[in-house]
Amino acid sequence: MFTKSLVKGLTKFSFAELFIPLVVVASSSLWLSGRSTSLLLFIKFTLCYLMMVLSLQVFVGNSGVLSFGHGSFAMVGAFVSGLATAPLMIKQNAMALSNLWQPLVDFKLNLGMSLLASAFAGGVFAAFTGGFLMRLNGLAAGIATFALLGITYNILFNNNHVGPSNQALPGVSQFSNLTLPLVLVLLAMIMVYFYNLSRAGRTLRATREDNLASRGLGINIIRVRWMSFTFSGVLAGLAGAMYAHVGGAVQVQDYYLGFTFYTLAMLIVGGSASLWGAVLGTVVVSGVSQILLMWEQSSPVFGITIHLPIGTRAIVIAGMLVVILLWRPNGISNGSEIKLPNFLRKIKAS
Amino acid sequence: MIQTILNALSLGGTYALASLGLGLVFGVMRLVNFAYSELITIAAYTLVMTSQMPIIVGFLLSVVVTSIAAVLMELLVYRRLRGVAPAIMLVASFGLSKLLQQVYELCFGALPRSASIAPWMSGELKFSGVSITNTSLITALLTIVLLLVMRFLLNKTSFGIQLKAASADFRTARLLGVRANHLITLSFAMSGVLAAFVGAILVVGNPQVEPMFGMNMTILALVGIVIGGISSLPGSALGGFIVGVILSLLNTWLGNGRVYSYSWLFAVVFIILLVRPGGLLSKGQEMERV
Repeated sequence: MFTKSLVKGLTKFSFAELFIPLVVVASSSLWLSGRSTSLLLFIKFTLCYLMMVLSLQVFVGNSGVLSFGHGSFAMVGAFVSGLATAPLMIKQNAMALSNLWQPLVDFKLNLGMSLLASAFAGGVFAAFTGGFLMRLNGLAAGIATFALLGITYNILFNNNHVGPSNQALPGVSQFSNLTLPLVLVLLAMIMVYFYNLSRAGRTLRATREDNLASRGLGINIIRVRWMSFTFSGVLAGLAGAMYAHVGGAVQVQDYYLGFTFYTLAMLIVGGSASLWGAVLGTVVVSGVSQILLMWEQSSPVFGITIHLPIGTRAIVIAGMLVVILLWRPNGISNGSEIKLPNFLRKIKAS
Repeated sequence: MIQTILNALSLGGTYALASLGLGLVFGVMRLVNFAYSELITIAAYTLVMTSQMPIIVGFLLSVVVTSIAAVLMELLVYRRLRGVAPAIMLVASFGLSKLLQQVYELCFGALPRSASIAPWMSGELKFSGVSITNTSLITALLTIVLLLVMRFLLNKTSFGIQLKAASADFRTARLLGVRANHLITLSFAMSGVLAAFVGAILVVGNPQVEPMFGMNMTILALVGIVIGGISSLPGSALGGFIVGVILSLLNTWLGNGRVYSYSWLFAVVFIILLVRPGGLLSKGQEMERV
């Protein structure tokens, strides 16, 4: 049997570990989004990123196998959701869509159903490709998932029968307010937490810690990885769709290298082994990025205005990534879930 | 036909050089150095900036600049990350790569810088009715010579043998007296030198240098080292060569379907990895921990 100290990550349910991240996400989103329309938009995009980072946490964090392929599930999710909700008039008249396959022209769903459809599409795509990919380990797995991303991107970028190819698909219906994306993200966080806690999540982490020993204990590595990959595909499909519904358009370039690395960086910066790490990484990276953006535009952040030259943001973000990893290679959360401060835990114990 | 083969060989050779440069560092410290692309870029910028001087001076300067940049990367960043998980080093190298791209953008601007470099390279040679471009001929010859030099360095010199030993099994190599820091620094310098050659070859073919100049090459070279064989330096070169040749042939054969050549390339990569997860030249049952 495992002794507890060997296993990093969740072993038993703790109310605070689930509740604190939920409260942090919900309260900061509601508070900031009420302040201005640009902040509302920022919060919406951040929620999409958080969904994507959660998806990566489920697979990359628990299995320890690096995946660059999740962008392709997001692409598929975005295409499904975008084509389902773009008005018929645009689909028939836009130049980029003149060769669109007829069933896709007729494909029509409302916003809620289109989100479900894209989650389903992401999951099916991941389940199918995962059947092959999960046999690989280490860097080979990373490169194979990258090949998947490359193929999906290359096809969607060039083929105008399945989408707008290299142009944007406009007119995708947008979230009317913050409720739906926020609720989706909070639900996803709860699901991810309980997945991490479940037998499937724990056996997967066991394979991360020691591949050979876990096989010796009778764990079917390919199967537990495949389950996690499929679940994360569902979340990635949903993240892609949400991104499309926030921006009101779908463009395949949005989900390629930049998106992939940005979200992976958020996960690694926060600490890939825990839900709290995923949340923290997303909040820190997008928060700093937004603050710097506002300073570049000379707008005040909490009453403080610093005039930064344009271009500072990108340099600081990239530099921050390197410095944080030098300072804490396991991410800011160091791979653990959030713990109550000591004095609170003492009150609870007494 | 001859032109097609020569193009394939020269592109294959260029990718082989880039893969070897990445593979040198990957072998000793399991680091996927994304920032290698910025080494290629700085080499290209150096050549463009010195286009007024004789090409040989510009090239020597670019070798110096890239190898210094590579060693600085190791001293300032990677040395401090020794021993952390490869995935984390990879993300750190990605951050470094983005950082350098932004610095280039500040220094040189986001728009391409161009200059005519070695214009005599773009001429054509005619042999009994067959015409081939100078560029592909020279690139093919240059890469063959360089690969032979690398082969000699790796097989016949003490440094090369130590490097190969460290690639195969770093811990055992250290126990046998290989000086780790020394070796890693040297392999970074050497990968910098290779990056200078790759940058020079690329910039002659396409003298439009922008901050993301080396990116495409680096990603495909990375694909090359994985399909070639993760812990084998000849494997790295072979994998890179295969990637370059496939890409070049696909571009010739697919005609209008050329836009999908990356899909076919990645499909081949996918199949190779499924059949031989350790790469083409892997030996025996090696498995990484993750």
